[in-house]
Amino acid sequence: MAKTVEQLMELIDKIPDEAAKPGEFILPELMAIQIAHQVRDDDIVFAGTGLPMVGIMTANMLNAPHALLIYEAGICDGKTMHVPMSVCDQRAANMSSSLGGLVDTFGFFLQQGFVTLGFLGGAAIDKYGGVNVTSIGDYYKPAHRFTGSGGNSDIGTMSKRVAYIILQEKRRFLERNEYTTTPGWWCWDFKKNEWRPKKEVWKGTPFADSGPVAVVTNMGVYKFDNNGEIFLESFHPGVTVQQIQENCGFALNVKNVKGETKPPTYRELFVLREFVDAELIFLPQKVEYPAAIKKLIES
Amino acid sequence: MLKRGATKKAQVMSLEEAVKTYIKDGCMIGFGGFTAMNRNPTAVAWEMVRQGIKNVHCMDRHGSACSWILNAVGAIKIYETDWMGWGEMAGKLDVNLERNYKAGKMILEDYSHGAMAMRFLAGAIGAPFIPYYAPQGSDLYNTKYDALGRAGLRGKDPKIPKIKFQEMADPFYGAGNVMLLPAARLDVAVIHVAQCGEKGTARWRGIGTIDKEICFAADKVIVVCEELTPEADLRKNPENNQIPYFVVDAIVELPWGGYPSAVPFYYDYDAPFMRGMDAASRNPEDLKKWLDDWVFGPKSWEEVMIKVGAKRMLELKADSTTGYSTRILRGKKPAPRMKMPLSVARSGY
Repeated sequence: MAKTVEQLMELIDKIPDEAAKPGEFILPELMAIQIAHQVRDDDIVFAGTGLPMVGIMTANMLNAPHALLIYEAGICDGKTMHVPMSVCDQRAANMSSSLGGLVDTFGFFLQQGFVTLGFLGGAAIDKYGGVNVTSIGDYYKPAHRFTGSGGNSDIGTMSKRVAYIILQEKRRFLERNEYTTTPGWWCWDFKKNEWRPKKEVWKGTPFADSGPVAVVTNMGVYKFDNNGEIFLESFHPGVTVQQIQENCGFALNVKNVKGETKPPTYRELFVLREFVDAELIFLPQKVEYPAAIKKLIES
Repeated sequence: MLKRGATKKAQVMSLEEAVKTYIKDGCMIGFGGFTAMNRNPTAVAWEMVRQGIKNVHCMDRHGSACSWILNAVGAIKIYETDWMGWGEMAGKLDVNLERNYKAGKMILEDYSHGAMAMRFLAGAIGAPFIPYYAPQGSDLYNTKYDALGRAGLRGKDPKIPKIKFQEMADPFYGAGNVMLLPAARLDVAVIHVAQCGEKGTARWRGIGTIDKEICFAADKVIVVCEELTPEADLRKNPENNQIPYFVVDAIVELPWGGYPSAVPFYYDYDAPFMRGMDAASRNPEDLKKWLDDWVFGPKSWEEVMIKVGAKRMLELKADSTTGYSTRILRGKKPAPRMKMPLSVARSGY
């Protein structure tokens, strides 16, 4: 007979915290766990819908159980049992500390300076971590019109640390975005047509030193140097540095590569599969556990 | 100018009557709730389409099932908001909106989510504008991308601000530059709540999003409710009420009027139905069929829900403890029945 959720919970510490082997996990799982690793236990996190939300939920169940999760529509410290499909989902409001609205989340929490980590998506990114979620091509006659900012530009500029998850393609990793929704460490001055550091543009505000610290893609993990420029930190298993360079629209700094991205552990995968997205909403499929793990789960 | 006389009374009326009385061609309207997932006054947008209301200037916290239906027939002329999708994980982009926009049929004015929240806060408290930090350095504050200005619409309509934003150095504490954002002011606000008294006192459960702000920022307010509840009952626990009756003009009792969005503690969102809407919008013929089936075919909202069917409604019915349904199939597998969130069970709060 299948185990109850409570029985599965008791198994977590018995599942080895050892790296899974290639073929035992899929890319969205690796990415979700990489997001989770960015979260610290004392973080106040503000995350967007989609994989960022799955990642921070995973963190909340693993490495950062006391991280406080803010969901945009007014939720403070939601303790989810079922993965939300939106930042306004009643599932995200479960056992929360308080509920309010947008003025609470963007005003009382974000602009007041409480948020230590923002986690967001993006359609395209520039070499300083500036993100476009608005349009491709001429703004008024776009080739593609996306949703526009939503909370991206608020969270992306006023959270102490910001992390992005982006699909890596040459046309999405750019020297400069056609439209910058959320500026990174350098802002394009459209009057003078030159880059200006965020520290200067936001000088005197409480957010001059806030900005992007990490980017997770389907190919690698990135960090930012002291000048605010992106560099490759690790490449995902099965991906080469050369492939990454080929999928980047600017000369990428690959001098600080530490090696391969750490694969998820069996315990992390167990939590992600059984507790975070057991309904298979974000994950396309459930991969079979290797025999030894399966035996542990079924015993 | 006094906004309201003390003698004004909210009226209980039908959906058809409320739309006919308060929503006109070209009006500036804001819908409550959050995306297409939570407390959308869907039935009002549905009725607007049936009454053929056109050239709407929609200004709200972002797209929803309401904007999706209006865009499906090209009824939105100006959309001033921050997120132009609608269904999040069940249909992110509004394909109708993109199609209409590319065809030059509508104007989009972009702000950020926090900026729109602040604009509505200013509108709600009667302030002409509000300072906000974010997002400086963004093209959102590039004067080249002031769509309403480019269309020559600023400075004419008293509800359209003369400029999109104004940058200013903080004169009080010297804490850098801020953006002054114009108050958002609406002709009509429409919200969907759990309960409303016959006098207009309204209560929702779950998150508040921007509903209180849009009500106070509007000249007229329509409240759609799941239940018309005796005012006396709502006043036993006034701390649970969010909208004071004196801002409300029309009360419409319409169970399931928020479908396919969720109304916490009443019903869940219908993700499969929204995926169907998204699929239909990708082909003009499918969209026409969808509109005939779901908007123009049914004689009433009740008929829409009859068409949704008892089976789906039972699946969507919210649990009384969580406020959502654990019976609806949202992904490929059913929801596990959990007593306690894993993080709390293992590590407390």
